[in-house]
Amino acid sequence: MTTTAPTDDQRAGESQGRLILKRFSRNGIAMVSLALLLLLFVFSVSAIGLGPIPGWWKHDYVTPLPPAEGGRPTLSLIPEWLGGAGIMLGEHPFGQNRIGVDYFAQTMRGVQNSFLVIVLLAGVATVLGTVVGAIAGYYRGWVDAVLMRITDVFIVIPAIVIGAVVGRMTGGLGVQWLAITLGLVAWMGIARLVRAEFLSLREREFVEAARVAGASDMRIIFKHILPNAVGVVIVAASLIAAAAILLETGLSFLGYGIRAPESSLGLLVSQNQSAFATRPWLFWFPAAFIVIPALLINFVGDGLRDAFDPRQRRFSRRRTKEMPQAEALPAVPAEQKS
Amino acid sequence: MTNTNRWRGRALAGVAVAAGAALALAGCTTTPAPSESEGGDATTGGTISIAQTNAATALNSGTPDTNLNTNGMVDYLMGAGTGPGSFMYVDNEFNIVPDETNGTMELISDDPLTVQYTLNPDAVWSDGTEMTTTDLLLSWAIGSGYYDDATFDPATGEVTEGNVYFQLAGSTAGLDTTAFPEIDEEAGTLTLTYGEPYVDWNLVNLINKPAHVFAEAAGFGSVEELATFLEETPEGNPESPAEPNEQLTSLAELWNTGYNITAMPEDEGLLVGAGMWIPKDFQADDGGFISFGLNPEWRGEMTPSFDELIIRFIGDPNAQISALQNGEVDVIEPQPSADTVAAIDGFGGTLIEGAQLSYDHLDLTFNSEVFSDPAVREAFLLTIPRQQILEAIVTPVQEDAEVLNSQQFVSNQPQYADAVAANGYSDFAEPDIERATELLAGATPTVRILYNTENPNRVDAFQLIQASAQQAGFVVEDAGSPDWSSLLGSGDYDASIFGWISPGVGYASLPQIWQTNGGGNYNGYSNAEVDALADESQVTIDDEERLTEIQIEIDRLSREDFYGLPLFQTPGLVATNGTVEGVVYNGGQTGAIWNTWEWTLAGE
Amino acid sequence: MLSFVVRRIIASILTLVVASFIMYVLTANSGNPLQDLLASNAPNAQQLIGQRTERLSLDVPPPLRWFQWAAGAAGCLVPFASCDLGVNLNFTPVTALLPGAVASTVRLVAASTILAILLGVITGIVSALRQYSAFDLGMTFFSFFLYSLPSFLAAVLLKEFIAIDFNNWLSGADSSFGLVPTIVITLVVAFFLQAIVAGSMKNRLITFGVSAAATLGVLLYMDATNWFQSPGLGPVGLLILIAGVAFVAVVLVTGLGNRRALLAAGITGAIAYAAYFALQGLFDISTIWTIAILGLATAVVSFAVGWVLGGNDRSQVIRVAMITGIVSGLLVVADRYLQAWSTYIASPRINNRPIATVGEQTVGLTGDMWVMGLDTFTHFLLPTIALTLISFAGYTRYARAGLLEVLNQDYIRTARAKGLSERTVVMRHAFRNMLIPITTIVAADIGALLGGAIITERVFAISGMGSLFAVSLDRVDLNPIMGYFLVIAVTAILFNFIADLSYALLDPRVRVK
Repeated sequence: MTTTAPTDDQRAGESQGRLILKRFSRNGIAMVSLALLLLLFVFSVSAIGLGPIPGWWKHDYVTPLPPAEGGRPTLSLIPEWLGGAGIMLGEHPFGQNRIGVDYFAQTMRGVQNSFLVIVLLAGVATVLGTVVGAIAGYYRGWVDAVLMRITDVFIVIPAIVIGAVVGRMTGGLGVQWLAITLGLVAWMGIARLVRAEFLSLREREFVEAARVAGASDMRIIFKHILPNAVGVVIVAASLIAAAAILLETGLSFLGYGIRAPESSLGLLVSQNQSAFATRPWLFWFPAAFIVIPALLINFVGDGLRDAFDPRQRRFSRRRTKEMPQAEALPAVPAEQKS
Repeated sequence: MTNTNRWRGRALAGVAVAAGAALALAGCTTTPAPSESEGGDATTGGTISIAQTNAATALNSGTPDTNLNTNGMVDYLMGAGTGPGSFMYVDNEFNIVPDETNGTMELISDDPLTVQYTLNPDAVWSDGTEMTTTDLLLSWAIGSGYYDDATFDPATGEVTEGNVYFQLAGSTAGLDTTAFPEIDEEAGTLTLTYGEPYVDWNLVNLINKPAHVFAEAAGFGSVEELATFLEETPEGNPESPAEPNEQLTSLAELWNTGYNITAMPEDEGLLVGAGMWIPKDFQADDGGFISFGLNPEWRGEMTPSFDELIIRFIGDPNAQISALQNGEVDVIEPQPSADTVAAIDGFGGTLIEGAQLSYDHLDLTFNSEVFSDPAVREAFLLTIPRQQILEAIVTPVQEDAEVLNSQQFVSNQPQYADAVAANGYSDFAEPDIERATELLAGATPTVRILYNTENPNRVDAFQLIQASAQQAGFVVEDAGSPDWSSLLGSGDYDASIFGWISPGVGYASLPQIWQTNGGGNYNGYSNAEVDALADESQVTIDDEERLTEIQIEIDRLSREDFYGLPLFQTPGLVATNGTVEGVVYNGGQTGAIWNTWEWTLAGE
Repeated sequence: MLSFVVRRIIASILTLVVASFIMYVLTANSGNPLQDLLASNAPNAQQLIGQRTERLSLDVPPPLRWFQWAAGAAGCLVPFASCDLGVNLNFTPVTALLPGAVASTVRLVAASTILAILLGVITGIVSALRQYSAFDLGMTFFSFFLYSLPSFLAAVLLKEFIAIDFNNWLSGADSSFGLVPTIVITLVVAFFLQAIVAGSMKNRLITFGVSAAATLGVLLYMDATNWFQSPGLGPVGLLILIAGVAFVAVVLVTGLGNRRALLAAGITGAIAYAAYFALQGLFDISTIWTIAILGLATAVVSFAVGWVLGGNDRSQVIRVAMITGIVSGLLVVADRYLQAWSTYIASPRINNRPIATVGEQTVGLTGDMWVMGLDTFTHFLLPTIALTLISFAGYTRYARAGLLEVLNQDYIRTARAKGLSERTVVMRHAFRNMLIPITTIVAADIGALLGGAIITERVFAISGMGSLFAVSLDRVDLNPIMGYFLVIAVTAILFNFIADLSYALLDPRVRVK
């Protein structure tokens, strides 16, 4: 369990934010991952458009088209002077499925849906988890006990089980409802972390000072304590985001998630599993777009953790002795979940 | 002194512990196992294993709880109510083939319908017990519901009063009109007289489960006592239901649940059968198996050339293909797709193609607002791209596949050509958008289509139909659902895409699907002529020609009413990894194992 | 403490009751349990629907039906009461379905969990000690990659490349390694080892050279002796390995300077080596219990050796002796398994294709415990690898972060300042404290394990808890799903409880309240 140093001074708080940003931006892998992730997002949205807004790609993800070249992908990355067909997208860069729907459009739609799931699921879970954790940790006593028992109830039921049941119930309603409902059952981890953070922060002097100054409970929770716990929240949210991709993929693979003819990467992989040996592109393109965003988010999350918790980064056996005393403070003992 | 004592004590304790350990060690050893190669290679005729998607759950497929295809295969192999060893089996061309190993059946008279079953004098169960007419009588008692006196609530199907003893997967239809059979024990005959004509009389198979096992389980002293009991117990009367009969209840208990298995049963009686294969070992659920050895008493003309048959339960279709490639199973029956075919071809497996008995079809709902107008029905049918659907789904698997043009016959049935010539479904071979637009005259009706979103064939068919119908001005809405079956007949859709599986033989489904308010008539179809024909079909005995006429006529009438369109016959596939020869595709419910006696291991 | 336990138990029961209610209502609303009958064109479909409705009380609304279920299920948690979890759609009691599923799942997940913890923690420690080295970055990438890899993808790849390709190679005409694979394996192993060792360029080059030569030698030897057809460690190989185990145990626990530890490890190793020759006859007629007794004897003997030679550092010397003894014993047993390999793959039912892709056993295979053990091994190999790869990533990250955190603590600096050797600092001070959070994570993970691995079980056709759940959910078969839920919920609660208690016991800073 780690905490950011609390500050009661607005200017110092800002500078700490900037410090974190600076630390994060110095982390090459995390920055590149973040950039690639944003690029992928823009690419998938702009390619086939969003809702009524058309994208730059000529085909959509539902209309069957006459098959060309046996549905083989026309994407070529080998330039002509190397003996390839030249760098080009062609008519169907990722090929076509068996009724002739453009596979690039389907894959991009799947990527869009992945992002939608990431944002909604992680968003809902983070907000809910933070609020529950903050209230439980701040008020303690019976409020805490009740909220934590509720948390336990949801923890006892494994995520994939709730996901499967919820997916079956809401799969037909559309991706956004699936994501939101999954978010409603994925907040428990964050709630526990935030609660632990609040239990220790609420004893600090700056909270006492705010209370003496007459600040309301809500103000103390959201204006004073929460900014100091934001590191935990952001890191946990990034982990949920990575897990969200895999949860949606797994559910769709099992047939409990997004349903055809809507497109999802897990669904595409599941439908085309048997094409593994014969039409590998039907399998590998969506598979790659499952792994890549998950990997990128993990790196971003790791970068965030390092940025918020610099002690781990500073460690080096040679430099230990030179480490400034203040930074080597022992971590606050993990608050025991009772 | 004390020191020495202590040492001596320790040494003694050490010796005692060591001796104890040695004893325990000796007790926990075994004799060296004979190495596998000498385990019986000399006597082994070989093993063939086949994969199935569903696990077997019982050694009896006749109850509603156990009516699953793998259980049906177990019944077929054991000769219980179907398969060699019982009176007949159904071959891959849906001929009813009599099997005279244990007995014969014979039509004695048309009116009243009378059928005589005769046991061979040497007819015998796999445990060596002689077969008697009581075995036949018991099968009749189970299948006829003779002793039942229950009344059903017509709306919910729940029993409101009285008893149902033997639970049946099928219905008692047909046998319920029979009187108590006449039995001649000496001659080994049992004669059934039907109260009403019954078209599928030749599918009534009275060799099923052994009476001596039932007699023992229900506490009868002998098979004879059971026979007397069955004779003396009065027929059940739903008008005045009796108290539950204890002995019938315990007989029924064995039938209803006694054959359900979650592990290899201890009770050898459950393994007794009349067929050529007898269960040898079993492990439940996905990843499990049921293995069969040869019936030691088998004397039939057809005898397998290998002596162990294994059905492995592998739920994941792709896992089946890699298991076939890896030699863990020798035969699989995969869902055919271009990729499956190419993958199996790719590693040198043998593909045996065929056509399933099921067909996908598009039905229009007659009582929906949109389709109450025949012109709109016709216009919609004119937009259906049947050839395109076929080429996307079936042609990659089966190059010479054609669009299905009958709702009654599939293309490998001999009657199919006559039906197509008469019914006119071939008029809808290619979509005619122009004519459809004309018929709609500027209207843009909304059509909601119900289909199973978990079946890729249906999803693809829906997308193709949607794209085509929109060109004529239809607005096609997606009403697909994984729970499509519970929505059938709900009226929440205007058209549905799904498949019928026909048993291949028998005519019981005609009134089900085509008659007004028939149990399988989900789209509110009603035509007085068709109703009359369907009624007639059920009482036509031994007159195949007339039955074919009836079916062709229904086919024609449904086409004229714009009932819907048959889309394609589902392709079928059996694949082996090259180690087994003699496997023949069978589109019926028994699947590939129907002719195990013709299978041989390659290279022998 | 007692009041804590009592309150905890009451809270757990409440949690269970509420969670089961939510689960019940959710599941009941996830679909229609009559769907297969509604789609059937059987003549008596209506009657069958009536029968199922009556039997499962489908006409009672789910929230009320839950009380019926809870009444039966309550008996399962109270000792000596009758346990009734209802029946599935096929009228099989759920209590008959669960034991088999639990057993399969335990077989499936036990090995992979242990492997993932061992490998993950070791990798994490090395990563932390070599922070920001090529090894650390490589492992970070690798573990994130594994973490992002969907399990069905891993399963498909394993089947294709390990099972089918390995079997083809083994049963093929030419089963030599070939030049290119030999060189590639050699280089990869050598590169990997030098990255772990790190340090100066010279050190790295030496490591690289030595490990490349050793790997090449082993590969050439294996190729020449057709090792994969008739494997075994052999007297020489075993001697080298046992010596290696003794050496590593001493280095890690006490350091080579401790003569007594060195002697104890040497003697234990020698006894194990002698046992290898003495026990071959007994092994031929062994059962699993024989091996268990021998294992116990090994522990007792190594303990005794450590005790007698211990001197001042008795506890440490005992530890060295026991590690050496038990690991050497495992090597001797492993060697016997390897000896059975050629018999196993020659069996007509295996036919030189040992690595299985589905199921838990070869149907109809008979043999002694070694052959049957190998059969279990070949069937669980791929799913175990698949599951290990997934959970490996998590443990690596936990262990790395945990060790880094500990290494920043004051007491570590104090230990260093005292002039303790790096080995002592890491192994005795840092390692143990790092294990505290890991222990609680492990306990919580084990609690979740019985849930099974839905996707892995499906792809490898293993009938564990996950597949029970998936199959039942497909059919909206409520009672088996609730049975599944009951098992996993109770274990999860139990192990979370154990996790909390162990945390309190291991870390004196934490008070149980």
